[in-house]
Amino acid sequence: MTSKILILGIGSPFGDDRLGWAAVEALQRSSALAAVAGGCISFAVLDRPGALLLAQWRDADYVMVVDAVRSGAPPGTRHRLEPGEWIAREPVSSHGFGLAAALELARALNDLPSHLAVYGMEIDPSCTGFSLSQPVRRSLPDLIREIEREACACAQPAII
Amino acid sequence: MTEERRVPIQVPVLARVEGEGTLELRVRGGAIEEVRLRIFEPPRMFEKLLEGRDYSEVPDMVARICGICPVAYQMSAVHAIESLFGVDPGSWVRDLRRLLYCGEWMQSHSLHIHMLAAPDFLGYTGVTDMARDHAEEVRRGLGLQALGNDIIRLLGARSVHPVGVRVGGFHHVPPRAQAGALLDKLRAALPQAEALVRWTAAFDLPAMEQDFTAVALRHAREYPMNEGRLVSSHGLDVAIDQFETRFVEHQEPHSTALHCLHDGKPYLVGPLARLNLNLDRLPVPVRAVLENTGVKFPSRNMYHSVVARAVEILLALHEAIRILEAYHESPAPGVDVKPRAGTGYGCTEAPRGTLWHRYDIDAAGKVTHARIVPPTSQNQARIEADLRQALQAYGLDHEDAALRQRGEMTIRNYDPCISCATHFLDLRIHRVSCF
Repeated sequence: MTSKILILGIGSPFGDDRLGWAAVEALQRSSALAAVAGGCISFAVLDRPGALLLAQWRDADYVMVVDAVRSGAPPGTRHRLEPGEWIAREPVSSHGFGLAAALELARALNDLPSHLAVYGMEIDPSCTGFSLSQPVRRSLPDLIREIEREACACAQPAII
Repeated sequence: MTEERRVPIQVPVLARVEGEGTLELRVRGGAIEEVRLRIFEPPRMFEKLLEGRDYSEVPDMVARICGICPVAYQMSAVHAIESLFGVDPGSWVRDLRRLLYCGEWMQSHSLHIHMLAAPDFLGYTGVTDMARDHAEEVRRGLGLQALGNDIIRLLGARSVHPVGVRVGGFHHVPPRAQAGALLDKLRAALPQAEALVRWTAAFDLPAMEQDFTAVALRHAREYPMNEGRLVSSHGLDVAIDQFETRFVEHQEPHSTALHCLHDGKPYLVGPLARLNLNLDRLPVPVRAVLENTGVKFPSRNMYHSVVARAVEILLALHEAIRILEAYHESPAPGVDVKPRAGTGYGCTEAPRGTLWHRYDIDAAGKVTHARIVPPTSQNQARIEADLRQALQAYGLDHEDAALRQRGEMTIRNYDPCISCATHFLDLRIHRVSCF
């Protein structure tokens, strides 16, 4: 039985916030991922899914979420978070239901996927327009390789 | 003697907020002397941005005003511009615009009920906290919200800031198979929407009646969404182009949000006002579900807004099913439009209440002046009046934290677009003792 892997990129078309989308676009072209068992990896790009993020990963065994991060580290710094390593610090509202809040809600509902990793990269909030800042562009290939490695490892046939 | 107590609430640096608010109370001798809901949200000058733009750009531009109710802004805009151009897009477009609005009501109301209101009324700090005890209800809410988004996506290509609407109709004709698949999902959700009405009606809501004027659209045959006359619980009954003769916006020094008054007084728009004024326009099955709850409408208890929202979700679901059952693929998604100079008015029912637009357009089709009166501006004075009564009734001798929570709950009950800000409400109480 082949594991189902879902790679989600969260963001918008603007500046470094498009990191999640850019990562998914690159991963869709990845020859390393194309070589793994056919059809077991799916991709999606999302724009502010809010609490409806939970509906995205139904039926997926492994979920990797890529999003822009602002923690104060230098732009281009890579992060990898597993359940328990994020804290929903922003209060929930109808207009602002962020990734951390959605993950916390999924945990409360017992709807987290069995394997979940959140990949992030520190962004430069002053970066505007439709392209990534230089530090983020420079770090993106390393992020892609890291996700490729994990996805290939997850794609090994599950033991049943 | 003046004793000022200030409760500092930390505003998280990374929080995505739509505004910031402060509630100021001045208490003298155990009574509220003054209530001020200060909104710091900087003006975005959207009306000014529209000047000089072609009429065809307006629907996509105004959709950006709100990420939760973009359809409402699009609908008020296209109706205003079509009325000016003398365009009738026909019944196919009319039906699908109502369907689109159903989607927005479902997603917006469901979001508000489950993310904001229910945790308040059930005594939780938030939806995550509530989900541990009410997982089934939260999943049901997320499902109804997702269905609303599915409807918006069918016609608008995406659920946030949809792009399918244009003056004269839509940009595309949804395939029949896609509409049919959605219809199946909507039918299956009816029991959930009915259960939602019963769930909200069973909340232990504070019992407090208030005297207020309710204002909403009223249509000759149907529950109002896109069309109707402006009516009130106090006898108003005017065409939408008469709005400016009876409703006046003004600036209050303490807030960047405009206050709108009706004949000089605060008034209510939104689900409770709509339901109070349009009970007889509910489809029979929806009325039956509501009547079985025992909650009586028209209601003067502001907290019954949450029940009204649930009723409107059920109504929207019924309406969406009715429209999709009759759906056929039109040869064209709309009609051609020829601009002409003049002034056009549009007024529709956003999830949060009546949304009024006025556009002055020149012969070349360029906007020369725009005016948009959103529901939050109309409810602002009513929210302050409600806070005065709600907090007085609650008891001003409560600790500041308890008063802040009750104040936030009172504000959130209106589902204002500043609701994000009210989560960080900075409560300032000036307690003035009389000796």
